[in-house]
Amino acid sequence: MKDNVISETDVTTNQTKIAARNVQVFYGDTHAIKDVSVDIQDKTVTAFIGPSGCGKSTFLRCINRMNDTIDICTVKGDILIDGEDIYDSAVDPVQLRAKVGMVFQKPNPFPKSIYDNVAYGPRIHGLARNKSELDDIVERALKRGAIWNEVKDRLHAPGTGLSGGQQQRLCIARAVATEPEVLLMDEPCSALDPIATAQVEELIDELRQDYSVVIVTHSMQQAARVSQKTAFFHLGNLVEFGETDKIFTSPEDPRTESYITGRIG
Amino acid sequence: MTDMPNTATPRHSLLKPDARTVKRNRAEARFKSYGIAAIAVGLLMLAILLTTIIGRGVGAFQQTFLTLDVQLLEEKLDKNGNRNLDEIKKVSTFGYAPLMAAALEVKVAETGITTDLKPKDMAGILSKDAAAQLRDFVLDNPELIGTAVEFEFLTNSRVDGYMKGRVTRESIANDKSISAEQLDLVDALVADGALEKRFNIDFITGADASDARPEAAGMGVSMLGSLFMMLVVLALALPIGVAASIYLEEFAPKNLLTDIIEVNISNLAAVPSIVFGILGLAVFINYMHLPNSAPLVGGLVLTLMTLPTIIISTRASLKSVPPSIRDAALGVGASKMQSVFHHVLPLAAPGILTGTIIGLAQALGETAPLLLIGMVGFIASNPPDGIASGLMDPNSAMPAQIYEWAKRADPAFYERAWGGIIILLVFLITMNAIAVMLRRRFERRW
Repeated sequence: MKDNVISETDVTTNQTKIAARNVQVFYGDTHAIKDVSVDIQDKTVTAFIGPSGCGKSTFLRCINRMNDTIDICTVKGDILIDGEDIYDSAVDPVQLRAKVGMVFQKPNPFPKSIYDNVAYGPRIHGLARNKSELDDIVERALKRGAIWNEVKDRLHAPGTGLSGGQQQRLCIARAVATEPEVLLMDEPCSALDPIATAQVEELIDELRQDYSVVIVTHSMQQAARVSQKTAFFHLGNLVEFGETDKIFTSPEDPRTESYITGRIG
Repeated sequence: MTDMPNTATPRHSLLKPDARTVKRNRAEARFKSYGIAAIAVGLLMLAILLTTIIGRGVGAFQQTFLTLDVQLLEEKLDKNGNRNLDEIKKVSTFGYAPLMAAALEVKVAETGITTDLKPKDMAGILSKDAAAQLRDFVLDNPELIGTAVEFEFLTNSRVDGYMKGRVTRESIANDKSISAEQLDLVDALVADGALEKRFNIDFITGADASDARPEAAGMGVSMLGSLFMMLVVLALALPIGVAASIYLEEFAPKNLLTDIIEVNISNLAAVPSIVFGILGLAVFINYMHLPNSAPLVGGLVLTLMTLPTIIISTRASLKSVPPSIRDAALGVGASKMQSVFHHVLPLAAPGILTGTIIGLAQALGETAPLLLIGMVGFIASNPPDGIASGLMDPNSAMPAQIYEWAKRADPAFYERAWGGIIILLVFLITMNAIAVMLRRRFERRW
């Protein structure tokens, strides 16, 4: 066992949703993720923190196999969701991504109407039998994305016409519309102002009721505010993983301490 | 003792530019003037080009006509008097010539023009095609036989040239086609108002004509030839080009093979068009035995030529769709194909259309490959009826027709070649304007 991987054993209150075992990721010759093993629990917000280029986004993208779209990227090791290996050859990444939703760093609504943005996922997955069911799904998703009240009168206006924070909440609504079980968020607030950030953070806390949320963030305050568990990545290694309070108050690894006190990164 | 710091470099006032700044500003002004000069030269060339083309070509849209009352004598045109079309058809153009000569003689007598010309020589001012036109008119309207009709006859190209200033009394000294007496007659008829120059729709809609009757030649049939070729190009190049670009851009792995393909597509775009022509000759005609001079073959050759243009512009517009849109689609669980067809392709569509239209415009103006596959057919008959005959029957194309006219000896054809260029340019400008409009209209900003 590697010294720098500190496995946390004292928090086992929730059941494990995602289990990663010895995950290695290579971009061509670059070893981006080095032997990461981590258990992510259901109905919990888990934050990935660490300096730029430490591999936290790469690891996040492994969880819904978005790295498959990059030709030179290879993933070794196992990632299990509900005990099923998602890198098994029998798994269709398209089906996986319906189950594991993703919100990206930059708000990226489709250049279509707000309604069509949210309805797209349910449409291609056949979640609605008719128009009124689809309307219900869209309304529910927009409500869960905490944007319903702002857009309910202009559902057919283009999604790209919203403000940055609204666009990001629309993207969250779009992600939850397909009824995923895991929600991955890659620095969802990096393009937002503090007010929009606060709204999104509040939303993340609500989403925890239904989903296992994994969030990558550069803001340690944000990690401390929204997450229950925190993982600290450094140079491709998972340095420390545990209760957020513990990571921020009494980290075990000196590198974690250096990072959260601002000496490295 | 004053212990002031030594100021070696004096402070410069911002109100007075220093030497360096003056020099830099001068260089900038110089560069701007080079740019303006370059644009001015370009505009001057364009102005010269346009004035030359329009100045020389606009005459082709006008033609000189002589209006006469013709007696369609029943005993000449329909001896049996039963208006049987097959019997009327037996009367050749030679049967109509005397009617025209007689009509002209009557006209001359009526208006009191004195001339020494014999009736046959008087009729010499009419086009050799005039009798054929009268015959076609009668065959279309057999019920008019036995009556007198007012008919506008095309005049001889020399008379037309005289009206347009191309032919003068000095220049016809050695010309056997026309005499000074005939020009006197022309002047008299102009004074009477029977002979006049006016807009000639037949130049745009008509068919080509033989060397001896330039006044009857038109662009219409070769326009149809070009149209059928463009249909072939559109039907083949657009789907093949778009499918190839989508595969290369979105699905193909990036490896040596796709790199080689990419380099070769760029190379193909630079291959001289005559190479595609000889390829078409070897493959489509000699090997596959497709008909000579057919728009189908022309279309196939131009498809080969247009494909690289369409592929390059389609790939460029696919590339310009931000990857975040693809991520978004994949993120909600769309398959690769769904993300391409639902999101990427609609966003790239204006760019693809623009590229296609520009590719088509390029193909429309292409001449060299058509010469090699024989698409300089001389089509003096009726235009093709139906799509099959349009694709398979020998035809010409607009640029080939222009080339063909420019080659002929009679200066009247030269004028028509310039006129043809005007028509071709109108098509090209229209297509490019549509391309620009589409781009402006559907351009999206992210």
